[in-house]
Amino acid sequence: MYYYIYDSYLKSKKYQSILSQAETKLTDLGINGKINYLSFLKNIEQILQEEIKQGVNTIIVAGNDCTLNQIINFVADLNITLGFIPIGPNNRIAKLLGIDEGEAACDIISARIIKKIDLGQINNNYYFLTSLETSGNDLNLNCDDNYFVSLKDRNNIISINNLFYLPELPLPINRGYLNLVIKNITQILWLKKKINYSYFKGWKISLTSNTNKSLSILLVDENRIIKTPLEIKIVPQKIKMIVGKNRLIE
Amino acid sequence: MFKESTNPNEVDTIIGPSVKLEGDFITEGNMVVEGTICGSIKTQKNLKVGPQAKIFASVAAENALIAGEIQGNVHVPGKIELTATAKIYGDIKVGNLTVASGALINGKCQMNDNKSRTTKPEFSKQKKLDLKTEIEDNKEIKK
Repeated sequence: MYYYIYDSYLKSKKYQSILSQAETKLTDLGINGKINYLSFLKNIEQILQEEIKQGVNTIIVAGNDCTLNQIINFVADLNITLGFIPIGPNNRIAKLLGIDEGEAACDIISARIIKKIDLGQINNNYYFLTSLETSGNDLNLNCDDNYFVSLKDRNNIISINNLFYLPELPLPINRGYLNLVIKNITQILWLKKKINYSYFKGWKISLTSNTNKSLSILLVDENRIIKTPLEIKIVPQKIKMIVGKNRLIE
Repeated sequence: MFKESTNPNEVDTIIGPSVKLEGDFITEGNMVVEGTICGSIKTQKNLKVGPQAKIFASVAAENALIAGEIQGNVHVPGKIELTATAKIYGDIKVGNLTVASGALINGKCQMNDNKSRTTKPEFSKQKKLDLKTEIEDNKEIKK
């Protein structure tokens, strides 16, 4: 039994045609179900628990990365399968999962290729964690409680991620580890920029500030700033997701 | 043993030139070090130490290509290749060692291949021959 959660931005006229096409396709495939729009006034967690009691075993989310990350904390600990219909911009997770936009996603849901996906956990909240980015200035990085990483130069971009894909650095995805990627850019006068990558993997990364002030770190999934101290962990194979054939994850 | 260009799919850890790492670093895959490390490194596969790398740590790996500086003991059961820019200040315990002209080693080097070592024959049971007295005895007999 399927249950659908739509993001509130899909009420906009801009997305009405793509949404109606997807709904028609879902009805044709015989996988339609009850629909609910996300809203501040609704307690989604309570609604989902009631629906699961009534026999719902698959929850389909329509929206973007933000929508998926809002839902993930409610469904991570429930024994259900999660599907996704990406609509609109900011859909990096869908690309990693091999899910095409709109109507094409309905065929993928119907095919039901289910994979267990690792989730990132930041201070006890679950995230898909495509990237957590910071400059690395005044930052203490402790990996696996074993070693500290410090940076010599200031032109760095630190990225901590669970699901991540960079064409110039194709790292393994979904293998039970967090990736810590440090991109260092150096340019002397007019000479060409030199980019060096450092790459580590670990199951737990702690970020603290060197100074008394807490540092701002960008959570790319939700376009949101979070503050240090942070404890980031990997939770291997936490959620069952419907994925496409063209997925980048293992 | 090593390719010049490192494929990130094959390399498990890359420590770039801008990074300084302190502590015990243990990994199961291939490792490339271009930066600075203080502590200890342990990998079950290959280790590549770049020419700008500085390691103040004990190192354990399956095989190693060393072009940088290591201050600490190195334990490699497989093969070590030292390039012309390599500097090692510490003891080396290795299966197979290749040293390029210009490389520097300050420390003991032990190659732990005991299988091909020949056993010492037992000489102690044989009587020692005193040649002087035997020659004199022979002369007396002839007289």
